[in-house]
Amino acid sequence: MKRPLMLALLTVLLAVPTAGLAKVKIVATLTDLAWIAAEVGGDDVDVTVLCPGHRDPHSLPAKPSLARKMRKADLLVYNGLELEIGWLPTLVDAARNPKIRSGQPGELNCSLALGHDDILEVPTGEVDRSHGDVHTLGNPHYLLDPRLGVAVARLMADRLAELDPDAAERYRTRAEDLAVRVDSRLASWEALVRASGNGKIIAYHQNWEYLAHWLGLEIIAIIENRPGISPAPRHVEQVIVLGQSQHPRAVVAATWDHVDGARHVAGKVGCGTVVLPGATGGTDAAVGYLELFDTIIAQLADSGGDS
Amino acid sequence: MKQMTGYLIILVLITASAAVAGDTSTLSGVSRTLNPAISVNGLMRAQVADKNTSAEMNGFQMDGVEAQFTAMVDPFWKANVILGLHPVHAEEDDAHGHATTYEMGIEEAVVENRSMSAGLGLKAGRFRLPFGKSLPLHMHQYAFADAPLGLTSFFGDHSPTENGVQIMADVPLPWYSDLNLYGVSGESEAFDAANKDLAYGARLTNLWDVTDDASLELSGSWLHGQDGRHPGESQDVDFLGVDLTWKWVSSTRTGGPAVTVTGEVLFPQYQEGPTDPVGWYALAQYRFSRNWWLGAGLGQAKAEMGLDDDPDLHAHGFDGDLREYKLNLTFAPSEFSFVRGEVGRYKDQITGEDDTRAILQVNFTIGSHPAHMY
Repeated sequence: MKRPLMLALLTVLLAVPTAGLAKVKIVATLTDLAWIAAEVGGDDVDVTVLCPGHRDPHSLPAKPSLARKMRKADLLVYNGLELEIGWLPTLVDAARNPKIRSGQPGELNCSLALGHDDILEVPTGEVDRSHGDVHTLGNPHYLLDPRLGVAVARLMADRLAELDPDAAERYRTRAEDLAVRVDSRLASWEALVRASGNGKIIAYHQNWEYLAHWLGLEIIAIIENRPGISPAPRHVEQVIVLGQSQHPRAVVAATWDHVDGARHVAGKVGCGTVVLPGATGGTDAAVGYLELFDTIIAQLADSGGDS
Repeated sequence: MKQMTGYLIILVLITASAAVAGDTSTLSGVSRTLNPAISVNGLMRAQVADKNTSAEMNGFQMDGVEAQFTAMVDPFWKANVILGLHPVHAEEDDAHGHATTYEMGIEEAVVENRSMSAGLGLKAGRFRLPFGKSLPLHMHQYAFADAPLGLTSFFGDHSPTENGVQIMADVPLPWYSDLNLYGVSGESEAFDAANKDLAYGARLTNLWDVTDDASLELSGSWLHGQDGRHPGESQDVDFLGVDLTWKWVSSTRTGGPAVTVTGEVLFPQYQEGPTDPVGWYALAQYRFSRNWWLGAGLGQAKAEMGLDDDPDLHAHGFDGDLREYKLNLTFAPSEFSFVRGEVGRYKDQITGEDDTRAILQVNFTIGSHPAHMY
């Protein structure tokens, strides 16, 4: 009699805390994805991020300590479109975690949330490295369109529902809540930029295509015309001449870009420089994904002067 | 040599035919989709040495050409194969005097398991020994044109490459700590290739993120085998090493300032041989502009045999007290190429001979080359 009782007690003692603590461990490559994962996952997940928001996600150093963060992950969420190609494959190998390897349920390429027409700047001609670090699958900076962030949230909800069926409904509900919150802000964000006048900008790097596409801005020139390669002086001169004839509202750069180069061009063109957070956490004000757009939109709307 | 070159040509032709096969694979049996990622790295140098040890390397030469093939084998294994061509120095050619010839070798041919869990890993095949900070690197990853003298004097000019098995395990400590245990054939230059006993060793890597931008690595290595200085005599040799690396990379600007400082000490322990041999180096690299790096390094290799020691030992192993001092400037416009200018001064403390070298090095990588670890 005593033995079955002890066994039952032991079973209860082991089972109760396990059920209560069985959170899905998510590792996100980017802060935007980490924020979305935390919103969708709520109390059902623990989220860790690899690349801080103030760091250029193209060139994160593949530190072994990052691989360690991935060792016990149940789910790896990453941007895809080769944004993290310079460091993520190395880290996945070093993590030695079979759950998050390619093709496993614990691996989620978030660019799969995008439809074919959503992906911008897919190269159509011949591509080689003389063009710089060209992303052959298309421009990877889609998270700078909040509508695509919502698509990612829904994709994450579906994957989390597969991994953790007991909480499936909660994941999907939270993703839809997030969609409503984004939708409620879209119109005011768009109106703020539209009302602030001239829609032409010069960009330092090809980060801003999705943002421009969403807001109806026109990028008239890119300073770093070969991605990842320092711009040639002759090209910078051409950008300045073009800018002087087209009068853009600002030169836009991310906090991690060579801001001095952007300021130089803006000074010659006679417009302001807008230094924007490139991701959630990129500046103190951009604490979350929604605040990221609050910050970007406010700075763009105010881009008559040098920010 | 000719036979090996023939194999390489056949391999390239097979790969090329697969690459153009397109969607006829059902019929032809060759598929572009399943091809490995292929890359080729080339490293060329132009060198002027004033005298002595390196005079035979004066002029232009390819330090090496390495072709790398990487792919998943199946759900359980990932494979990496590196075939390298490297010069054999100062071979006599009757008709033309000195001529550089090239030797082909398997630099790496390794499969890594993909299904082990709990932080465990397994590699099998031919690989560079995971000993110390510099030896596992490929030539194009070196901070200077040549590997540190403090290591090459004991292990040979090329990083020791061996056939064997490695097991990697996560050490459950509050910081990153990784243990690597391995057993290999013991055929590289430091070992007695004729002896069939295995060589084996371990490396414990520890890394701390001091800040967002800075990290500190402190690691220790041990390697045991049969001493190549005493061929056929079954004498033991142990190599002990400690390396310390501090890295700082600006996180706020792409291509912003970065500093790396590395020091490594090697203590060979011969059953019979020189007293207190030691090799060491220290180097610093500073990225002062987006594409420009400045480097400085020094090192020493010391193994004094004593005048009455067996002359055979002098023939088979390093004996002397060599020191080196190097400065370089590297222009790296992308991660796929660099041009490096270097000046090095080398001194033999025992004979008093010295040598100064000026080196211009050009490196390029084409194709899909895997990223390197931090």
